[in-house]
Amino acid sequence: MRIAALLLSLCFCISTFAQDFDFGKISKEELEEKFNPLDSSANATYLYKYRKTFFDYQQEYGFRLITEVHERIKIYNQEGFDYATTQVRLGKNGGDKEEFSSLKAYTYNLVDGKIQDDKIGKDGIFESELHKYADQVKFTMPNIKPGCVVEYKYRIKSPFITNVDEFVFQHDIPVKMIEAKFESPEYFNFKLNTKGFLPVSPNVSKENGKITFMNKTRSQNGNYSPIETSYNSSDLDFTKNITSYNLSNIPALKEEPYVNNIDNYRSAIKYELSYTNFPQTPQKYYSTTWEDVVKTIYESSSFGGELNKTGYYEKDIDAILSSVSDPVQRVSLIFDFVKSKVKWNGYYGYYTNDGVRKAYKDQVGNVAEINLMLTSMLRYAGLNAYPVLVSTRQNGVPLFPTREGYNYVVSYVKLPEGVILLDATNKYSAPNTLPFRALNWQGRVIAEHGGSELIDLYPKEISKNSISMMATISENGTLDGSYRGIKYDHDALSYRESYNDTKKEDFLEKLENKYGGMEISDFDIKNDVDISKPIVESYKFLKESQADVIGNKLYFSPLFFLKTSENPFKLEKREFPVDFGYPSSTKYMININLPEGYKVESAPTPVVLALPDNLGSFKYNLLASETKIQLVIDVEINQSIISSIYYDAVKAYFSKLVEKEAEQIVLTKV
Amino acid sequence: MFLKLKFIIVCVVFFITMQMSSQEKFYTSFSIPANLNENANAVIRSKQLNITINAVDDMTVYEKSIITVLNKEGNSSLDAYVHYDNNVKIKTLEVQVFNQLGALIKKIKKNDFIDVSAVDGGTLYSDSRVKYLEYTPISYPYTVEFICEINTKNTAFIESFTPVNDYFLSVENSSYTIIFPSDITVRTKEKNLEGLDLTKEKSQNKIRYTIKNVEAFKPEAYSPAFIDIIPRILVATNNFYYEGVYANVDDWESMGKWFYDNLLVGRSHVSEGTKNNILKLVEGINDPIEKAKIVYKYIQDNTRYISVQVGIGGMQPISASEVDLVKYGDCKGLTNYTKALLEVVGVKSNYTRLYASPNEQISVDKNFVSFGGQTNHVILNIPVENQEDIWLECTSQKLPFGFIGDFTDDRDVLVITPEGGKIQHTKKYATEESSQFINGTYAISNDGLIEAKVTVNSKGIQYDNKYWLETETERDLDTHYKKRWNYVNGVSINTMKINNDKLNNEFVEDIDFLAPNYSKIVGNRMLLTLNALNRNTNIPDRYRDRKLPLKIKRGFKDVDEVEIKLPSDFTIESQPDNVSIENKFGSYKAEIIVKDDSTLLYKREWIINDGEYPKEDYEAYRDFFKEVNKQDNAKIALIKNQQ
Repeated sequence: MRIAALLLSLCFCISTFAQDFDFGKISKEELEEKFNPLDSSANATYLYKYRKTFFDYQQEYGFRLITEVHERIKIYNQEGFDYATTQVRLGKNGGDKEEFSSLKAYTYNLVDGKIQDDKIGKDGIFESELHKYADQVKFTMPNIKPGCVVEYKYRIKSPFITNVDEFVFQHDIPVKMIEAKFESPEYFNFKLNTKGFLPVSPNVSKENGKITFMNKTRSQNGNYSPIETSYNSSDLDFTKNITSYNLSNIPALKEEPYVNNIDNYRSAIKYELSYTNFPQTPQKYYSTTWEDVVKTIYESSSFGGELNKTGYYEKDIDAILSSVSDPVQRVSLIFDFVKSKVKWNGYYGYYTNDGVRKAYKDQVGNVAEINLMLTSMLRYAGLNAYPVLVSTRQNGVPLFPTREGYNYVVSYVKLPEGVILLDATNKYSAPNTLPFRALNWQGRVIAEHGGSELIDLYPKEISKNSISMMATISENGTLDGSYRGIKYDHDALSYRESYNDTKKEDFLEKLENKYGGMEISDFDIKNDVDISKPIVESYKFLKESQADVIGNKLYFSPLFFLKTSENPFKLEKREFPVDFGYPSSTKYMININLPEGYKVESAPTPVVLALPDNLGSFKYNLLASETKIQLVIDVEINQSIISSIYYDAVKAYFSKLVEKEAEQIVLTKV
Repeated sequence: MFLKLKFIIVCVVFFITMQMSSQEKFYTSFSIPANLNENANAVIRSKQLNITINAVDDMTVYEKSIITVLNKEGNSSLDAYVHYDNNVKIKTLEVQVFNQLGALIKKIKKNDFIDVSAVDGGTLYSDSRVKYLEYTPISYPYTVEFICEINTKNTAFIESFTPVNDYFLSVENSSYTIIFPSDITVRTKEKNLEGLDLTKEKSQNKIRYTIKNVEAFKPEAYSPAFIDIIPRILVATNNFYYEGVYANVDDWESMGKWFYDNLLVGRSHVSEGTKNNILKLVEGINDPIEKAKIVYKYIQDNTRYISVQVGIGGMQPISASEVDLVKYGDCKGLTNYTKALLEVVGVKSNYTRLYASPNEQISVDKNFVSFGGQTNHVILNIPVENQEDIWLECTSQKLPFGFIGDFTDDRDVLVITPEGGKIQHTKKYATEESSQFINGTYAISNDGLIEAKVTVNSKGIQYDNKYWLETETERDLDTHYKKRWNYVNGVSINTMKINNDKLNNEFVEDIDFLAPNYSKIVGNRMLLTLNALNRNTNIPDRYRDRKLPLKIKRGFKDVDEVEIKLPSDFTIESQPDNVSIENKFGSYKAEIIVKDDSTLLYKREWIINDGEYPKEDYEAYRDFFKEVNKQDNAKIALIKNQQ
């Protein structure tokens, strides 16, 4: 049995090394390959990707993380030339910095049937300081031609031992073979997290390691004897935990529209330090479960500590709340106060940067400063308020318990009437209407003593729109009438963001040109600043050529310029969910007066389209009388995110919707 | 006594506030003249730019500006940053922020500026760095005073006087002073200053300009390039120093000569191996153009573009021998390398500096020589006897020989020859040359399905717009064609065949597609929009008050000929009239020929010529597009045959 297993693993090794991935052992077959047989659209392919990350102990530095990288890339055509340039980002902080070394890099070309290699020169390597916290090394390979293979290896030494870069297994080009290995001494306990659609499982093993300490002793026997220096060494034996991966033929990850963040679907493994357990030292916990993550964050002085500070605002809040006892009103007063008092500086994070006190004084702060301050004030006012850890859409979905899983914090209030989510970094964000960036799966509510629970961040409330239009179509096809649109929640938020920050004339001009230069007059916006009410937009309009005049008949679509003209879903098939961000609905009420002397010859019939499982629906209802047409349409998307198994249905639904909205009314001259 | 003293103090304070120095009045936003608020997101209240040339290799630039930002969009006009590298020393850098009332609310010192590498995404490496201000406004409007002083050895680039350097930015006061020793000649060139409140003082060692009250510009479609409409005064010296080299030039000829002798000469050596390779490739060919084609192909097959900007490398190409070794370079390096290889085969060519920009043709000023500021790119010029010169874009691995496209077409450029520099004009793609021919057929079924087969043949700038499709993946190409015919709902593309004919600079696309319910059945009628293959959906933006002249940068010509098979159950009830429009912008013709009961021939030709017109013509130009849009949507009504 054991022998069989050994044999098997031996076979595995042999089959892996049949293709030679030793550095420099490039085969003619690799150079002759004209395209990737598994994905002919690939411009380049990783033939081999190797990474090993392990701990190294040096007496003067202690433990450091070493990462060795070896990659071999086939470049099929000019579009793949970008892969001839590699960027390595090196973190730094104060005196600590990651070091890049031992670069070896060659380009291989087939010239007259012989393999020619070109070594990278000094002038192909560029080091620069990106900013205070990062340096960068870029290198670009010589003599790149379609068909060539590039190969390089390098090493990174890092003092940041608690932070192991993600092992990424899936890229924008296919990968033929991956070998990855992570070794850590028993003193470090790492948690391993997998994401993506590929089945990835590590091979786990243990090995022995040894650290040799050198001690220098100086001694003198009596005052007049020479000083003697003696050296002795002591060994420390320990166990290394090893996880390794062998993967082959990994497909490229391709972008699709309406995907929240493509990185959510990229296959990768993240090692996160759970705890350290050094001999004669108590265990130090970093994080293993979500509870631990929350605890670590909560106990940090940049989070919990900041949350508990109250002195800096007490007087101001007392003044504001003096005559108000209604909890809902108190929430709203404090929320408005923070929004007007402190402006967001564009920085994310759940830890404060300069601290709440300074943010309050300077009136500028990062996400944590603003929303922790808000939470603290709400508590001070006697409300049950809690911070909520959030991962923004940009940051991806926090699939496993890591501190990096979150990058944002909002506030949450429990009232007898229900719960309210608040984010004071955006001045148009209303209670329970978080900015779009924060609408991402679930957030984690942190209770007073560091306990936590999950809440859904995707809004359940449907963002409503209602549009009413009264218009008259003339004999020559000119449409004139009035429009009134009411927008709630998220649609109101995004409207305020675009309207309130631009000049009114510009906004109007853009609106006119959105509808092909339609003439707009009596333009009016209500509640542009009062976020407790919906946005009401109204105007009069005049637009030519809104009907086709053919013979003695008029043809037009009763939605005119409001119709959806294009199906946003064009891909034939789709791998990932469609993410709308929030559920929404629009109700159209359109009244059309007909030109005198015309009557309705034919008109579209009512129709109901529905997505499966109540995901969405489209209801079209039209009433035609002698002189008038009345159209009522209800469109609803009931979920924020729709699984890709519904993609065909969603695509067909939108296609039918576009078609129905384009259907024409025929008027005949009597 | 005590009381009295207090009174005096109050008086003094009062007096001081009343007598705000002329500068302080700029700290509050209340004093902005109304006309400068219009269309402005930010206002330059007062700006001083003082350039002192102490010696040919010693220049100090002092800038003090007070800018009021009116709204969020105006933050980008602050320009509170400074670029530097090893040759630039920052002596002063500070910012003060004032609120609406003019009260100081924040001070920011040099060390609080954010310091980052100024490398953009497209550049592999550059030693240029930038320090910039990071400030979150607490409320609008607010005012920033920015003071920056630098010292540099390079005197080759002297900042021009550009009081308005952004759209939506107005100027209350701006001044420009240049002080120089008597042995240095300073030249200036004034542009677009008509009707502006400009004063000018000139003495032996000093030139000073002051401008007041310049209203904001607003971008408008089909208008001249921004740089060609804003007031500007170009400034340069005859003597200058650049990265270790001294120059004395007073026209483009001497500039070219200096450039050639100091930055180009001796940089064209290539290895014997490459030399022999190239000579072998052109063996037996005598025609210089044929030889050049072979060399160009060699360059395209063997090199790639990478941007590296270090020190003198900002202007000087890396040597041909270096490119020969690593097979990559930036525009300078690759152009110089191409030039070197052409030299090997005995074809003369010239290194050419110009301003590249795909949207607008920006020329080098014929009459004003300056080392920097007027160019940003390098191409190669091959003079041909008795014919138009050939221009080569050496950074592209895809463009056909001699095709430069909209990146560098139709503009004045500096051609650098061993004898000196000269200004020449690059290739202009005339309307007739930028053509698209569509030859297609489509059939409509009884239930309105369209099945189309189309061949699109594109040349000139229309070639330029499409040739990149050649290397798209099938999935992306499929999406591309669905977008091209986005006005047809539910298109599925059956076949796509594309052919990039680099010999004739012609791009040929053969596409078959179908879409259900293309023509709408209403009762017993069917409505068919005839133009299914090439509909104009673009209507230029409408402006309530157009300010800028109309400029059509490039012309084009579209010719469509489409055979249409009508559904068997229907006959024509009514059809649109033939259309023929002609005006100063171009022409439009649409014609329907009934071949038999079920076959139509639809012919369409649309021409837009390039040209410049006064702003009053914009509305007519827009109307032309609207009319074309309307005619392209013309429908034919079919009626069901009586059974």
